[in-house]
Amino acid sequence: MKKYLGPLSKDNPILVQTLGVCSALAVTAQLKPAVVMALSVTVVCACSNFIISLMRNTIPPRIRIIVQLLVVSFFVILVDLLLQSYLYDVSKMLSVFVGLIITNCIIMGRLEAFALSHKPFPSFMDGVMNGLGYGLVLVVVAFFRELLGSGTLWNHQVVPDSWYAAGYLNNGLMILPPMALILIGVIIWAKGPRAV
Amino acid sequence: MKKFSNTYIFLYITALVVVIAVVLTLVSTGLKPRRDRNRQAETYQQILRAAGHDIDRSKAVAAFANLAEPLTDDGQQYRVICADGSKGTAIRLDGKGLWGPIWGYAVVSEDGQTLKGVAFDHKSETPGLGAKITEKAFLKAFEGKKLYDKDGNFVSVRVLKAGTASEIAKENRVDAISGATLTSKGVDEMMQSSIHSSQITNHH
Repeated sequence: MKKYLGPLSKDNPILVQTLGVCSALAVTAQLKPAVVMALSVTVVCACSNFIISLMRNTIPPRIRIIVQLLVVSFFVILVDLLLQSYLYDVSKMLSVFVGLIITNCIIMGRLEAFALSHKPFPSFMDGVMNGLGYGLVLVVVAFFRELLGSGTLWNHQVVPDSWYAAGYLNNGLMILPPMALILIGVIIWAKGPRAV
Repeated sequence: MKKFSNTYIFLYITALVVVIAVVLTLVSTGLKPRRDRNRQAETYQQILRAAGHDIDRSKAVAAFANLAEPLTDDGQQYRVICADGSKGTAIRLDGKGLWGPIWGYAVVSEDGQTLKGVAFDHKSETPGLGAKITEKAFLKAFEGKKLYDKDGNFVSVRVLKAGTASEIAKENRVDAISGATLTSKGVDEMMQSSIHSSQITNHH
């Protein structure tokens, strides 16, 4: 089990591999979309890792990227169709992320770096752990952005009205994407080169 | 590394594309009735929301039959009974957000003067910013706003940056969402292009 834990910290996809940063900027203004995005990336990353790993010995190297893209897009569209039919509310929340999932560098990155050269089960686990490692950073960033930018957490107000009455203001910069980049930079700095 | 012939590559990719296309088409066609039903229920729920009814989507179709009737065949206008018991006209809104279409319904009071409420939805606005147009806090600001100014000119309801000086009176405007200037502008334009003074005086 221990060998799969790398992506949570010392091999974190965002903090160390610096993959998937664009979507981390886009969906972290609030906690809820960040968690939904993290879960969808985890599912798609694990499943496409698994399928590509099953196919790995038949894929001609010259067209492997095209094959990977096809499998990932197939998967994302399939999941989207199923959600629209059976879990409509979740699909509403996800709508904007579907395109972002396909383009998430973590998925292609893990297919290239891991699934093409490993057996299906370890590939599946690698996808799950990378998705979770990605999600961990998203949740931390979204926590601070939503708390300081909107005074809410999971859409519930946590900053008391009396603070606002006393002159407290939400930090408008927090809800803009540049602040997410700064926060991720701060987290990378705080983490440092530590291998924990 | 294993060698693959060109023929193999062509056959491989063709087969893969065909399999994926067939599976996706089958799934999409098979699930279409379900998706359409979900969308229809959502539209009904949206109209009822604009009229002040907080109704679950699963119950929206049944509730809609009791509370609303179409005024036009194209789904553009409905007569609805609002949550406070008064009657109103629900008008379909269509506009452009920052990333894609935005739409919704506005319910206008029977005398055509006041906005009873609105409900908006969007395809792909940014979560936490533009996507806030669907949230209660933003929608509530529209309730009770006037569609005509003091001199009796039709202005609809404007969405303008909070605190900016403007000749538009408070009762004709709501504050835009900070950080979502372009989506707010889209809502502003939608409110003006979709509601016409002729519509709201036609039906009573």
